[in-house]
Amino acid sequence: MSRRSYTRHVPDVRMITHYAETGHSTIHSMTAWAKAAILLLIVAMVTVATDLYVLMMIFAFTLCFYALARLPIRLLIGWYTMPVFFVLTIAIMFVFTEPGEDIARLELGSTTIGVTDNGLILMAKLLLRALAVVTFSLATFMTTRYGHVVYIAHRTLPSTIASMFLLTYRFLFVTSDELTNILDTVHSRNGHLARGVFRQTRMFAGIFTHAFVHAFERGERISKAMEARGFLGAFPVSEGIPKPRPVECVMTGVFAALLGAMVISRYYGQIW
Amino acid sequence: MAHIHLEDGALSPAWVLFWWAVAAALIALAIMSMKRETVSVRKLTLGAMCAAVGIAVFLVTIPVFGGVHLNLTPLIGILAGPAVGGVAALVINLFSAAVGHGGWGMIGVNTVMNITEVFLGYYAYRTLRMRLQADRFWSGLSAATLALIATAIAVVIIISIAGVQDSHLEEEETAHNLLVIAAANIVIGVVEGLVTGYVVTFIGRIRPDLLEHVERPTTAQTARPSAS
Repeated sequence: MSRRSYTRHVPDVRMITHYAETGHSTIHSMTAWAKAAILLLIVAMVTVATDLYVLMMIFAFTLCFYALARLPIRLLIGWYTMPVFFVLTIAIMFVFTEPGEDIARLELGSTTIGVTDNGLILMAKLLLRALAVVTFSLATFMTTRYGHVVYIAHRTLPSTIASMFLLTYRFLFVTSDELTNILDTVHSRNGHLARGVFRQTRMFAGIFTHAFVHAFERGERISKAMEARGFLGAFPVSEGIPKPRPVECVMTGVFAALLGAMVISRYYGQIW
Repeated sequence: MAHIHLEDGALSPAWVLFWWAVAAALIALAIMSMKRETVSVRKLTLGAMCAAVGIAVFLVTIPVFGGVHLNLTPLIGILAGPAVGGVAALVINLFSAAVGHGGWGMIGVNTVMNITEVFLGYYAYRTLRMRLQADRFWSGLSAATLALIATAIAVVIIISIAGVQDSHLEEEETAHNLLVIAAANIVIGVVEGLVTGYVVTFIGRIRPDLLEHVERPTTAQTARPSAS
């Protein structure tokens, strides 16, 4: 996120960019089009697939892809915290209420709580789906250079969204650094000792106000500077992306065929 | 934000496509609305700055109730307006999906939730300030809390109707399971409401011009006193 990250649960944008710009693995040398296409196919596959073993295989593939890119596995485990938390907030109650055979049962006075096999399988499926996409998405962004992201955004998104997306990417470094600086200042003056919901929210509101006001002032300055240099709203694209190599086309084709098989299997019955 | 970023695979393919279509329609409306007033570079940069601050703020844990993360989408709506705020919400979701907070397939439904927060935040704040003459703190607190409670309930309704993929529970049972999450989201919504109330109060003191567009009387409102 910044010079000093304030959370280990959220991927640090600066670190993602560092790995993308300096890495030299096989995955780094893959063309960005192929990685983007496979990412979309993986998302479609985890949405269509319902078999636990198929989902496990997809997750294993994404882990191998991440490892092949020589990216830090230890950091990835920390970054899993939030997606796992999001899945658990939805799925945790289903573990107890999903119809199925009881695996464990707990008597609490007059009520009984049971963990069912189908409930656990449901939670495992949701976790595998989420983590497969998170792993592949992070691997894609940690191996794709900024110039290539700009090119893909420019070619695939409407110009207003592409421009705002790319400006946000640039501003993110400055705003997160500024927030970190303010938080450092607050902590160095024992601000973290403030207790109570109202006192804490008021203190953090002050910090966020500062961030918003500075962001607006900087935004106004930047827009004037950009307009003075002839910027009319469309982000300049200075770098193209090489065409996918034959092996990458084959790989993408294999994933598309697998997705097709999964769609047929789900909606028209078993095909194998 | 609606505090729950649905992850990939939670909804079935048909529902994923449906919510993508709804989100695309809303974003198209937002872009058309921006273009009607010509997309100035200033608007683009302010929208991008709002999105960047929204993402940066999400990275900070507020140490209340064991630690909560805020995205301040209703505040973005109040500051940037519904059109620019709506596109900023989509951009925030694109970044969130890239780093694993809410899946790529779920950008549709998550964006619809966030655009709802942006719209409700903006129009509730405007109504409270202009029609009911409430002060900035109460307007910000009420608008953000209302927007977040509405989306917390909407999340429960959406998941209950669509059903969690592979679950065999009926709509009512699913909704029952999600009530605890809705309650937790409402509590976090109140915290975010408090933060929003304080932020608009502070901004009103040091840069009132940033709130001018949302606190400016409509043509009908300005015409009324002269007519009487």
